[in-house]
Amino acid sequence: MPGTLSPPLKTAGKTLPAEDVATSVSPDRPWITIVWNDPINLMSYVTHVFMTVFGYPKPKAEKLMLDVHHRGRAVVSSGTRERMELDVNVLHGYGLWATLQQQD
Amino acid sequence: MRVTRRRGHARIRLESVEAGLLANLFDDLDGALQTLPDDDPVRQRLFPAGYRTDEEAAAEFRSLTEDSLRESKAVRLGECRAELPSGDGEVDLDDEAVQRWLTVLNDLRLAIGTRLSVSEDDDPDIDPSDPDAQLRAIYQWLTALQDSLVQAVIDH
Repeated sequence: MPGTLSPPLKTAGKTLPAEDVATSVSPDRPWITIVWNDPINLMSYVTHVFMTVFGYPKPKAEKLMLDVHHRGRAVVSSGTRERMELDVNVLHGYGLWATLQQQD
Repeated sequence: MRVTRRRGHARIRLESVEAGLLANLFDDLDGALQTLPDDDPVRQRLFPAGYRTDEEAAAEFRSLTEDSLRESKAVRLGECRAELPSGDGEVDLDDEAVQRWLTVLNDLRLAIGTRLSVSEDDDPDIDPSDPDAQLRAIYQWLTALQDSLVQAVIDH
């Protein structure tokens, strides 16, 4: 956990077991976490959450926040499916509208 | 309501009526977390799907995460509720407590904003004849409080 503040959720042990991964999943494409725009979450708060959860410096967090705001979505992290499920779970704890999917 | 920062702590100064309002809102949200039906938009916003198109994966993700998410939201609410002054007063928050307050205020705004169907194009001037005028004023006040609290910590 790169953030300096404790996340509000304890997520250890909550990933899906490997056998639940659908057979159509291609192992060589990474998974991504996407945050979607919504009319309620404040721009300042979203920036703060990206800094806290991912340890991103403020300029990077602000750029991602502006991508969410202007383009409707932004990829905020990528990696294994299990890691992305953790990220989505933590972001849901902060009230962000986040989903994961395999990269196109 | 006024938010200040001093010696590493953020401080929310509340008037009696504001503390009472927050207490009621916290209690309402606590009840809503436990009782809202699955198809309620507020519940769907507080507990969003983890997968956008894969319904089976979304259902499994929900089954693994929603109960603990609800529990952590309820615990945080209770902790913030317990920190409220009983009249005019201050809430003194270290970094961890600020984080908790920010997420609880956000949950409140998500619940009320969803109920009001707020959009980014909403007129900030509230129409007094709007039947939701009071709730809109509360929403705007929560927005100001949350934003002040973010500003108090984001550069530290």
